[in-house]
Amino acid sequence: MKMAVLATLIAGLVSVQSILLPHMMVWGVMPDIGLIAVCLVGLFGGELEGLLLGLALGWIMSLFSAADLATSMMTKGAVGYVAGLAGRHVVYLAPAVFVLWILAISCVAGLVTAALLNLSDQQDWWWAVRAVVAPQAVMDAVAGGALYWLLWSRLNIERWVSEYRT
Amino acid sequence: MRMVNFRLPYNTGRIALVLAAVLLVGFLLLPSQLQGVFQEVGSPIGWVLSWPLRAAASVQEGIADFWGGFVALRGVAEENKELRKELEHLKGQNSQLREAAVATERLTALLEFKTRAELSMVAAQVIGRDTGNWYRTIILNKGESDGFKSDMGVITSAGVVGRIVKTTAATSVVLLVTDPNNAIAGLVQRTRDEGIVEGTTQGMARLKYIPLLSNARPGDRVVTSGLVGGFPRGLAIGTITRINKDEEALFQFAELTPDVDVGRVEEVLVIQSPNVQAEGEQLGVPAVRPKS
Repeated sequence: MKMAVLATLIAGLVSVQSILLPHMMVWGVMPDIGLIAVCLVGLFGGELEGLLLGLALGWIMSLFSAADLATSMMTKGAVGYVAGLAGRHVVYLAPAVFVLWILAISCVAGLVTAALLNLSDQQDWWWAVRAVVAPQAVMDAVAGGALYWLLWSRLNIERWVSEYRT
Repeated sequence: MRMVNFRLPYNTGRIALVLAAVLLVGFLLLPSQLQGVFQEVGSPIGWVLSWPLRAAASVQEGIADFWGGFVALRGVAEENKELRKELEHLKGQNSQLREAAVATERLTALLEFKTRAELSMVAAQVIGRDTGNWYRTIILNKGESDGFKSDMGVITSAGVVGRIVKTTAATSVVLLVTDPNNAIAGLVQRTRDEGIVEGTTQGMARLKYIPLLSNARPGDRVVTSGLVGGFPRGLAIGTITRINKDEEALFQFAELTPDVDVGRVEEVLVIQSPNVQAEGEQLGVPAVRPKS
């Protein structure tokens, strides 16, 4: 059951990321819903669930991208693990705090990715921050915050979290 | 409400952590070998995932058609309320017919070009775009099972689109000509000066390493040189819009406008025999260019 849910989640996320979101690009950048999903699963499910989903999602998303496999796998895996660790030590997370948290983690993940990818000489650090990392972090924060708020206000997320943690 | 329990048993958790650590060390020590293994293992997974991708692409196409028709019909309704119903019907039909006509024209152009080029080429459809923001790529609905491999050239009847950089069993990732990480051997058709065409961060392209004494000028066409890579000689890449000469530089470079609007490409041809030298210069600019 768990594997089926995760496989469906991954297939859905990859389809949305590669087909739907490119039509919603702002300044040539789209949010990374894989990163948001990994953060949410890490927060609610725990560090190992976040790590495993991050590794799997990073790997499969990189099959449909020119980015190398290792960077995507390791970055998303680490994000899931860190989200899980954070989730273990936080009792309550307000949507506004979650937005800031996603903003920060997306910035860090983006900078690490920029450092690890073998980009061309035109794509220097300043370009990476200005053209990809910062706009994507803002979009991730907005999309992640909206999703979290939806879960928090409509689906009684606090009960979910307490159930998962017991 | 019954919930799905995502928590893993303790032993599984420990194994997963050790696995992640081994992976990390593996990627640090043997990056290319391990990535090769994951690419191989990922190939059948890519095949499985290509089905939801294709399904989503079809749904998206349908919604785009519907949305296009809806917007057009709203305009008509505002102009003439009395004829609204009739116009809705006719507009809908017209939209579908126009789409079919444009698709036919595009496919006919591809077919004519394929016949004329005398190269071994396979047609493929674009089903998606890069899942990240770092590269400009498109995803094709064909892969290793159709004979696609890395470094194969991808074109339309209008010119060069890019080259394949990654494949799974049923999909391929094409790095576009406008990506700064792409490099294609090109030459200025009029002056015969050779250089390397690469994308720019602004989504255009540029020809590097043009000799300082070259008299290349805006308006000159740039085509593939056929020296290296998956392209035969003479395929259209773009038109020079500006020449840049730095005082102390050894070479000059030219900014190009690609002939193919890579943001709107829907069907492409993949060159499977790059070593077959077509009568490149005789190909020139295709007679029929797809409307984008």
